[in-house]
Amino acid sequence: MNTPTEDHDLLRWLDGEMSAVEKTAFEARLETEPELKSEAELLQRLSLDLRTHLPAEMPVPYADFFNSQIQVRLAQEENRQSPTLGSRASVFQWLRLPWLLTSAAAMIALGLALWAPSTAPQAGQLVHSIYVPSSSIQARSYHSEEARATVLVLDGLEEMPADRKIVGFNLMHSEVDEALASTTLYDGEGKAVAVMSTHAKSQPVLLTAAPHTP
Amino acid sequence: MKLCCSFILLCLFSLARVQAQEMPPVQPLPTQKPATDAKVWGALVFATNDAAEAAAMPKVDVPAEFADIPQLLGKVFPWQRHEVIGQHLQDVFREYESWVVPTKDLFLKIDSKGPATGGGMNLHLQFWRDQQVLVKTDAVLTRQSPLFIAGPKWRGGQLIFVLVLKEAR
Repeated sequence: MNTPTEDHDLLRWLDGEMSAVEKTAFEARLETEPELKSEAELLQRLSLDLRTHLPAEMPVPYADFFNSQIQVRLAQEENRQSPTLGSRASVFQWLRLPWLLTSAAAMIALGLALWAPSTAPQAGQLVHSIYVPSSSIQARSYHSEEARATVLVLDGLEEMPADRKIVGFNLMHSEVDEALASTTLYDGEGKAVAVMSTHAKSQPVLLTAAPHTP
Repeated sequence: MKLCCSFILLCLFSLARVQAQEMPPVQPLPTQKPATDAKVWGALVFATNDAAEAAAMPKVDVPAEFADIPQLLGKVFPWQRHEVIGQHLQDVFREYESWVVPTKDLFLKIDSKGPATGGGMNLHLQFWRDQQVLVKTDAVLTRQSPLFIAGPKWRGGQLIFVLVLKEAR
């Protein structure tokens, strides 16, 4: 059985990370240790096979969305863990840090200066993540104090053709058909106006009965 | 005699199987409404500086509780007129996706993520234009703070999607 040091050296040798001196020494060692040499040869063949049959880079499906979701989860984890940090870490270890007293004093002073009694959620926290699949569109959000609203701005959107007739609905309730995974949308008079569903690729399918007439 | 009885039983059994194959089981209709987390009001607003264009738009009667939305939009967007051209009052289902479709051109998919700690609802939103998703976002929607999505330009103005939390559990 290899020790961790041997495994580490073997991996560095396979990955070509050793210096010339280290490499010479390791290869001399391989000549004296047949067991290690056979393992090295096996791993080398395996590595070569993998590199031959797999592309050097594989595209990650929905990489941007995946990354944004990871960032959200990390932020949530940090928020969850921060209140319990003190109970996990040793208080005495923290007290040894030389910058602690200075930082604490600065934080208290800053907190007193900025503190305002409010129970409303912070405006910046209302939008946790934004993902835009198209590279031609840039999205940003902000909170408008004057309108008391969260604003999501999408720059770079393609303009709607002027001759396109935008048909507005006046929908008042809906019913879900669990078996068909569809939602029927009704107007104020109880008339079915549209049916919304999704097909296999999660694309929306909207079937309309009649447009809204004023 | 025994052989005759066996034959009759076999015939009856075969007949029963054929009937079972011909008549698929009837799916019972859902008797319970799906659980909901909230109710939202979504609207599509046409914002413009062209009074004639605004007047020509087919409009909907906006409930009194949302009547101040055009005024609030005027504080955010640089347009003089804000006309609600479509609206949709929609339950936010707890276990199913919900669609807010004030128009067939621009609509919103909502997945409930449950109540937010500071009030309101955690929602995953997808803003769609026909078959193209323009943006996906995780956001908190509160009763005090509507969401305005600045949509595409149209006829010298702009289409704005509005989402307001009406009720939350």
